[in-house]
Amino acid sequence: MSDKTSRREFLAGMGAGVLCAALGDKLLAFADVELDYRLEIAPLRLEIGPKKIVQTVAYNGRVPGPLIRWPENKRIRIQVTNRSDVPEIVHCHGLFTEPGMDGAMEEGSPMIAPGATFLYDFIPRPAGFRWYHTHAFAGRNLKRGTYSGQFGCFYVEGKNDAGAYDQELFLTLHDWNAYMGGGGDSSMDAVYDYGTINDRMFGFADPIRVTENQRVLLHVLNASATVTHWIALSGHEMQVVAMDGNPVPHAATVPAVRVATAERVDVVVKMNRPGVWVLGETRKAFRSAGMGIVVEYANQSGPAQWIEPPATTWDYAQFANAPEGGQKPDIEIPMVFESKFAGHGDFDRWMINGKSFPHTDTIALQQGKRYRLVMTNRSMDQHPIHLHRHTFEVTSLGEKKLGGLQKDVVLIEPQTVSTVDFTANNPGSTLFHCHQQTHMDFGFMTLFAYRR
Amino acid sequence: MWYLDVCRRRGTFIVLFVALAAVGGACAQDNYEIQVYGSETVAPQTTMVELHSNFTVDGSKPLPGSSFAPDGLYPTNHALHETVEITTGINDWSEVGFYIFTSERSGQGIDYVGSHIRPRVRAPDRWHWPVGVSISAEFGYQRPVYATDTWTLELRPIIDKQFGRWYLATNLALDRSFHGQSVPLGVTFAPAGKVSYDFTRVISAGFEYYADYGEFIDPATLHNQQQQIFAVSDLNVSPNWEINFGVGLGPTASTDHLIIKCILGRRFDWSHQHPGTSDSTQ
Repeated sequence: MSDKTSRREFLAGMGAGVLCAALGDKLLAFADVELDYRLEIAPLRLEIGPKKIVQTVAYNGRVPGPLIRWPENKRIRIQVTNRSDVPEIVHCHGLFTEPGMDGAMEEGSPMIAPGATFLYDFIPRPAGFRWYHTHAFAGRNLKRGTYSGQFGCFYVEGKNDAGAYDQELFLTLHDWNAYMGGGGDSSMDAVYDYGTINDRMFGFADPIRVTENQRVLLHVLNASATVTHWIALSGHEMQVVAMDGNPVPHAATVPAVRVATAERVDVVVKMNRPGVWVLGETRKAFRSAGMGIVVEYANQSGPAQWIEPPATTWDYAQFANAPEGGQKPDIEIPMVFESKFAGHGDFDRWMINGKSFPHTDTIALQQGKRYRLVMTNRSMDQHPIHLHRHTFEVTSLGEKKLGGLQKDVVLIEPQTVSTVDFTANNPGSTLFHCHQQTHMDFGFMTLFAYRR
Repeated sequence: MWYLDVCRRRGTFIVLFVALAAVGGACAQDNYEIQVYGSETVAPQTTMVELHSNFTVDGSKPLPGSSFAPDGLYPTNHALHETVEITTGINDWSEVGFYIFTSERSGQGIDYVGSHIRPRVRAPDRWHWPVGVSISAEFGYQRPVYATDTWTLELRPIIDKQFGRWYLATNLALDRSFHGQSVPLGVTFAPAGKVSYDFTRVISAGFEYYADYGEFIDPATLHNQQQQIFAVSDLNVSPNWEINFGVGLGPTASTDHLIIKCILGRRFDWSHQHPGTSDSTQ
């Protein structure tokens, strides 16, 4: 099916809508508006590699779902039809939407019943690399939620996009066939059989074809339900120009990028080493599971080569400003993250300030105030925390202070205290949670509510 | 696995039952490695070093005027058995272990007892089996003053399952002697099992059961079976450490009656990964 809706389809839809008006207001309601994109949620049998089939649920019969590319501040209407057998919902991640259009049930967006259709209608902003994905509960069903293929890239085009690159590619990282593993001395976690870049395992996709001296912009999204990934292109360095869709203050160059669950990293790679190379996970176990793709220079052939990058640590501060001169917060909100043991054969339960969602205390916000979330992670796990409908500035990570780094997901290290600041500038219920599906489903969420 | 000598040899029971009936004593046993195996194997590029320390508080005693127990072996009463177990992961579904058994008893010093080698394979995680399954083959030698059979082979199917706070495991060992008293007796059956509960993230406790039913086809009478039950605790202080200790009672005549056991293990990672960096899965 076509993802974008043409004018002709729109008019045909209008006619069908008139004919079907007697069937009810619902059909008519969707027939008499111009749709920009259609998404159909449906089961999919996806061949990710030779004889490697995953049974999943996806948008429009493909993974990732269609790229939504849309100008900033121009109204968009996305019709979503749920052809799966369970209620679903589509969250537009990183956008300043209204709560009813954000695609999180906890904020008030409706679940889409099996067979039903819903129209997401909003004005996309801010510009940059966003994405959309299911926000459904998975729990112990490791086929649902973000374990599935329900994700896609959403690029909001700004007016001042200079386009200082020769080729632009969207790469989505995903892990497949999750099951409960681990245990032993720790609690259970989701572990996976396969990994892909976009919908294919290494060697099963067409190569990325480049020419020498090209500047290639890679939009990298980690759409894994739980795994933080490291990505490198053999023998090349990557210049990080944006994170979570927002330009970074310092476009530092690194041998490998770390992308936590739900994070996005935009990197520019100067193609200056002709050959046939592997772009993939830096860790052999993940590459062996399939997370890689071939990058082939023009007029080059042969098997793809992997060059191990130097062991790299990830320091958000190298892309940020010095902390001096940053705006002071009006109010600090302390948040303590803790886990509650449920057995070596189960997932941990998670608490914010001693309570698990939905029993967490809703935090009141006053419009226009600047808030600082002081997050104490007492657990032994990393947490890619995410704030809906807002962007925050990362102001400290452990002992390190930083400024100017605007994000909507940041990875909080174990046993540290970190802070992010945000301005309450988008009224309505706002969800805050860890983006690890095993954490958010087992209590790691809370709501902010604007005071009237 | 050579965790209980009697577990190896149903022949020991029959032969010794006749030989020892007159003295009415329990047959000998050598508690060198008292452990119910889980199905997990040691990860590749990783080595696990364990020290098994087992002290027999109430075991077989020497005959009057002799250094040996009625079974012709050194007595186990007040013996401290120390076993070093070194296990290295081959890949994500196999490992190989090596054992050095020793015995220490007042007046006898520390003696080398024997050595075993034990390869093990398991059903890989990617098979998505509902329970963990592995099988080990343990082959080795032990000196005749400590065991009535010197060359032995054991096949040990292992099944386990962790669900919530509960852990269940069973080991269904089949033993065969190639040199010694039990050779004519064929295959013997020595099951073991474990049930434990996670009270906290660190402390798990439960029971372990060890037995030798004798000949697989024709089990020995209960009186002549080896039966032992241990109250045990596992301390999960770190992924790199394994700590298990327990107290075991043997109610049958053929069993050492009271044993204290302890396992202290340390995992060594040879992958040279730098935790938290791009080359590490930790």
